[in-house]
Amino acid sequence: MGIKIVPRYGKSFKDKLYLPAIFAGMKTTMSHFAKNLSDTSNIKTECYPEMKPQDITQRYRGVHRLTHRDDGSVRCVACFMCATACPADCIFIEGKERRDGIDEKMPAVFKIDLLECVFCGGCVEACPCDAIRMDTGIFSFVAKRRKDFVLDKEQLLAHKSFEGEK
Amino acid sequence: MINVIFLILSLFALMGAIGMIMFSNTMHSALSFIVTVMALAGLYALLNASFLFMVQIIIYAGAIITLMLFIIMFLNIREEHAPKEPNKYINMLVVAIVLTPIDYLLFEAFLRMPHIGDFTTKIKNFGDIKMLGDKLFRGWLLPFETISILLLVALIGSIVLARKRERK
Amino acid sequence: MNIILIIVIVVNIIIALLFSLGAAPILVWVERRVAGFIQDRLGPNRCNIAGFRLGGLIQSFADMLKLVFKEDFRAGAIKEKFVFSIAPVIVFASAFLSYMVMPFADDLVIGSQTFVMQGLPINLGVLWFLAFAGLSIYGIILGGWASNNKYSLLGSIRAGAQVISYEASMTLALISLLITYGSINLVDIVNFQGKLLFGFIPAWGVVMQPLAAIIFIVTAFAEANRTPFDIAEGESEIVGGYHTEYSAMKFGLFFVGEYVAMSASSALIVTLFFGGYNLPWLGTATLKEHFSAIMWIIVVALPLLSFLFGRWIVKNNVWPKTDDIRNKETKWLLRMMVLMNMVIIAILAYFLYSGIGVTGTNIAVAVIQVATFAIKLLLMNFVFVWVRWTLPRFRYDQLQNLGWKVLLPLSIANIFLTALVVVGFGV
Repeated sequence: MGIKIVPRYGKSFKDKLYLPAIFAGMKTTMSHFAKNLSDTSNIKTECYPEMKPQDITQRYRGVHRLTHRDDGSVRCVACFMCATACPADCIFIEGKERRDGIDEKMPAVFKIDLLECVFCGGCVEACPCDAIRMDTGIFSFVAKRRKDFVLDKEQLLAHKSFEGEK
Repeated sequence: MINVIFLILSLFALMGAIGMIMFSNTMHSALSFIVTVMALAGLYALLNASFLFMVQIIIYAGAIITLMLFIIMFLNIREEHAPKEPNKYINMLVVAIVLTPIDYLLFEAFLRMPHIGDFTTKIKNFGDIKMLGDKLFRGWLLPFETISILLLVALIGSIVLARKRERK
Repeated sequence: MNIILIIVIVVNIIIALLFSLGAAPILVWVERRVAGFIQDRLGPNRCNIAGFRLGGLIQSFADMLKLVFKEDFRAGAIKEKFVFSIAPVIVFASAFLSYMVMPFADDLVIGSQTFVMQGLPINLGVLWFLAFAGLSIYGIILGGWASNNKYSLLGSIRAGAQVISYEASMTLALISLLITYGSINLVDIVNFQGKLLFGFIPAWGVVMQPLAAIIFIVTAFAEANRTPFDIAEGESEIVGGYHTEYSAMKFGLFFVGEYVAMSASSALIVTLFFGGYNLPWLGTATLKEHFSAIMWIIVVALPLLSFLFGRWIVKNNVWPKTDDIRNKETKWLLRMMVLMNMVIIAILAYFLYSGIGVTGTNIAVAVIQVATFAIKLLLMNFVFVWVRWTLPRFRYDQLQNLGWKVLLPLSIANIFLTALVVVGFGV
């Protein structure tokens, strides 16, 4: 492998002097500084805990929720499709027979371990009856103990879509 | 007070000089040399030679020894690279004994200097840059310029020598 | 030894301490906030004591406390413990000492006594700065070497080569300046710059010696190890450079030392090229002559400036959460500003009414000159920060090319040119 000599950019005296280019760069940074100093609201930075992010879209994958049927009961039929699709093995389901005549099967236990979850959205894609969604918009989930990160069926059902229940 | 400072400074100078020849680690030798140079600068300051004091720090401590340290670090000399000196201390002792008459001569000569023990400055602004410049460029211009030419020759010589080696 | 002498000496030392040590946290703050604003970010703005954020300045004190209380970790591979420990001290002490000869104000005359307004009243001036700025390199070299770490050693070798090559150009640029000014004493140099050139341009160094000014400012950046010459740290290539192995307050000393060195460089640049403590067109004599007019100007200008500043505070010093304690700060700041205005104007009004006397004028002029020096110093430090967040780092060979092939010949040519002009025109 030989040495490749790259032709030098800038042949005129002004280019070789460097100082005009340096001052041009300093002018640019100064204009930013002056703009932001005169009015700090020009800065787009959000002071996070006080200002919540406003740019969460419908496609944003937040913490999961279990959707409801029109009568308010759980939509999930415990088909285990989500648990099978899950690459992180974080969904634990126990099915049971459903006797109220709406459907044949429903989950007795539905747990998601958020510490294991990789928020890939695979479970949402896999679900055949639109029973699990990730549209809660919850981007930060905080707890003090490890076991608090394992969400059970009731918690998942209680989560709302960030645009309201649909 | 001045005597105490003088004693401390000369002690540092001597310790640095001894350390420089005693240490087998080159870096340590260079460090003790810094101590000597700085102590000498302090001695110049004690003698009211303020310009000499500054120049000693700027040139010797600031430039020359920095260059030495740089080269030592650049070559990455380790202790195992240093030559073995089995009879180092005996050699030193022998040299010290051999040099004793010369030391005595120096001491005698120093004792017979005029104004011994008189630390008052005879001239106002002694050691100032203006005085020194006046003396150098009015009274001693030829020696000064000769020395600068000598330095220039040494400078060019070193560059020429370095060039020659490169061509091989 | 009389009381006034002691007071003046103590005041001088306190001012020197404030400008060097006290400037460090402020400069850290300036650096971070300016960097934020230049990059369209906010920078540190959250830390507060009872709601007082002072624009984020409190963060610097919090960081200093953190550095003091951190664990002082030393890796087991470090054998040269003494050298390792003394290296940051050398950097800090030499940066600090190099500050001590900067004149903050013209010679102060009280009664029959004249005081030199420097931390150390010696007339070695520029030489003192050169000597101790040159010594600070030992800290970097020894720290890098004693760390027993490849990256640290590389960093200190780079620093050594850089300082040796740039010190030459720096000294030569200085010599052409000294030929112009005819003195190495910084007070003489500043007083020279108080004169007017052709009757209307202030004879500042940057006007008299523009080439030397450029060379000196560039080399001062290199001496202070600031971007674009901070290859000794070069965190993108050699981790942290010479201070990779340092932690806690040992690192803190390197860190503070860098800012003190930067501040000292700025002080020297201001003193040599930007008129030092002189206000443009207003030399010490003019100031003393027209002091009551100056007081009137202050009485009018201070409330106006305070009003503008207050409006800026009201507009920008807000915190998004309305019931937060930080939102009470603006109110208190405005109150304090009004109080300060009232006190200053009351004092000035008293002096305008009763007359200030010769000694009073001298002291007041010294205060104005110290303030001028402080403002100029802050602006120059801002330039250092501004350049850091504008320019990328030099590559090593580019750095040496610039030092030896451009700056050194230019500075030697400048010496010849200056000598020709001085000898030819007998200026």
